[in-house]
Amino acid sequence: MIEDYLVLSVILFCIGILGVISRRNVFTVLMSIELMLNAANLAFVAFARLNETMDGQILAMMVIAVAAAEAALGLAVIILLHRQKGRLDSNVFSLLKG
Amino acid sequence: MEHTVNYLVCIPLLPLAGAFVLGMMHMLTCKNPLPEKLYSFLAMLGPLGSLIFTVIIFSTLREMPAESRYLTQNMFTWFSAGDLHVDMGLFADPLSTLFLIFVTFIGSLIHIYSIGYMAGEENYGKYFAYFNLFLGSMLILVLGNGPVVMFIGWEGVGLCSYLLISFYTKDRDNVLAGNKAFIVNRVGDLGFVLGVAVLFWGLHSALGGAGFDYLNIKAGASTLTAGTGLAVCLLLFIGATGKSAQFPLYVWLPDAMAGPTPVSALIHAATMVTAGIYMVARFSFLYASYPFAGDVVAWVGILTALLAAIIGCFQRDIKKILAYSTVSQLGYMFAGVGVAAYSAGIFHVFTHSFFKALLFLGAGSVIYALHHEQDIWKMGGLKKKMPLTWIVMVIGALALAGFPPFAGFFSKDEILFMALAKGHWMIWLIGVCVAGLTAFYSFRLIFLVFHGKPRDQKSYDNAHEPPPVMTVPLIILAVGATFAGFFNLPAFFSGDSMVSTWLAPSLLEHHSEASRVTEGVAMVLSIAVVLLGIFYAWKKFASKPEDKPLTGFAKWGEDKFYVDEFYNAFIVQPWIAFGRTISNFIEPNIVDLPVKGTTWLYGVLGMLFKVFQAGYVRVYAIYMVIGLSLMSIFLSQSL
Repeated sequence: MIEDYLVLSVILFCIGILGVISRRNVFTVLMSIELMLNAANLAFVAFARLNETMDGQILAMMVIAVAAAEAALGLAVIILLHRQKGRLDSNVFSLLKG
Repeated sequence: MEHTVNYLVCIPLLPLAGAFVLGMMHMLTCKNPLPEKLYSFLAMLGPLGSLIFTVIIFSTLREMPAESRYLTQNMFTWFSAGDLHVDMGLFADPLSTLFLIFVTFIGSLIHIYSIGYMAGEENYGKYFAYFNLFLGSMLILVLGNGPVVMFIGWEGVGLCSYLLISFYTKDRDNVLAGNKAFIVNRVGDLGFVLGVAVLFWGLHSALGGAGFDYLNIKAGASTLTAGTGLAVCLLLFIGATGKSAQFPLYVWLPDAMAGPTPVSALIHAATMVTAGIYMVARFSFLYASYPFAGDVVAWVGILTALLAAIIGCFQRDIKKILAYSTVSQLGYMFAGVGVAAYSAGIFHVFTHSFFKALLFLGAGSVIYALHHEQDIWKMGGLKKKMPLTWIVMVIGALALAGFPPFAGFFSKDEILFMALAKGHWMIWLIGVCVAGLTAFYSFRLIFLVFHGKPRDQKSYDNAHEPPPVMTVPLIILAVGATFAGFFNLPAFFSGDSMVSTWLAPSLLEHHSEASRVTEGVAMVLSIAVVLLGIFYAWKKFASKPEDKPLTGFAKWGEDKFYVDEFYNAFIVQPWIAFGRTISNFIEPNIVDLPVKGTTWLYGVLGMLFKVFQAGYVRVYAIYMVIGLSLMSIFLSQSL
């Protein structure tokens, strides 16, 4: 039972990672991060049910709250990035190149 | 008997304070200098004050019983480490008091003379500040209670000679002469420092933490092993050859003529060059135990005397002649202290300071009168224009040549006779020859400068006697040069050897007796040689001197036997080449290798790792995922 939830969670998380790594559009990257957060939430809730405690539920709530804040910040950053270069391709922003 | 007094410190402190005050005044007012009278008044206070205190010390010491004649003063503990305990203290015994007497007396006279000689010169205040510092350093050297305190003065006179020799800094040659004096002295100083270090190393158990001063060293000297003692003597003598201008380190003294003439007088007569003799006499208790060290000292001294006298015969510059005569006379003094006739050597220092100061100041008057002309072949006939200078210079030359009854006769003959009496007949023989040469070159100078016809009419017409402030010291010194010899009249002339008796408690000396006949014959012989030298100089230079280019041996002599060139080619140039090699090759390639290698290493590492810095956010995300994965695996392993 629990394995099904965890497998789903891992699949979601891996999709998120692949999205972050492979996609060049910053919007997609942000959405992939949200996906990873929700994969983690799923795991939390599953474990909460398994152990019959509320800890996992509370953590999931907090992650959702943080994710909301992060989405707000992330969107603001994306707007600023767009103002800088006029594009949303993450390869354009490579100032850290050595 | 109370040996501790509190006024000894005043002797060096007064000139040093004068140097400080004058130096400060000069520094603060060098744009618009204060009146010269103020400077000269302040400059005179220090030396005269020291002279007064010297007289006080002399009379105090006279009242003490002869075998315990000394005064000490301990100011504070300078440093104390292990067995080495050094007090900043002063020590006056008959030997140092004799030095004090002529250093302060002649020093004061030279100060007075300088007031006239330096009048109108630039940096008048600086000159007197250095002069006071010079005198103060010499007084510390003489009064120090141990080799370490002596070393302060030893270095101080070295510094001041450097400052004063290159006093006319606008001329590059003067600065180079100052450098030469300082560097050559440094070679000797190394010997001195090593000598003192070895002395302490040999004595440290005997001292056992007691003060490292002359009284304790003397008490413990018998515990030194033969090798250590000999090493100490020879190393200290290296120091003495540097400071007292002996072979092979005499080369700085003739070049020291670059400074103002009173400076030469101060270096040659009162301070600096006598330091080496003083030091050897001070350690007479060591040198007396090692005859080999004494022989080395005596032979180096007498050979230097011969070499310098030969060079002196062919020089053209009036001051260079006098400089070589100083080297030569210092050689006599070392011959004296070397054959363990310490009081004779010290007495020659005493008389020499009078007639050498006289000769230098007289030469200064001539140079002053002729507007800085120093070539004796451009002088001549000055007797009529400068009768007083002529008289004092003749007295000085007679004293230098050692003609009775002038000062040099008694002291030099005492050294020669002592050498003979102690069985060093070779040294005696060379000494007699040098006496003849000395007479020859000193009267060559007199005849060429004062007699004959003027060879440069224009400067002859402008010549005149210097002002009284310069002539009065000359007269006083001339009186001294005439009569100073009588202070130590030997028994041969039914005298009582006053100076030798006075010095006896400070020196470890064995008087050897020789027959009166030997003494008389030796004396007559040396007078005859001196007369021969004067006669030859008269014949050659008095009436019709010929200034023809020198050839053969004389040319060698005029060129100082190419000793400077030899040093330049075999020591200075290789040293410079060595320095170049280090700075051009070893320094950048070997010394800097670790430093440069480190920067290179980090550069290469940076080149390697910068590949990972792609700059794309996605790549960093990959790194993060890999890192987190590894961390997770590691954590799951350790569960």
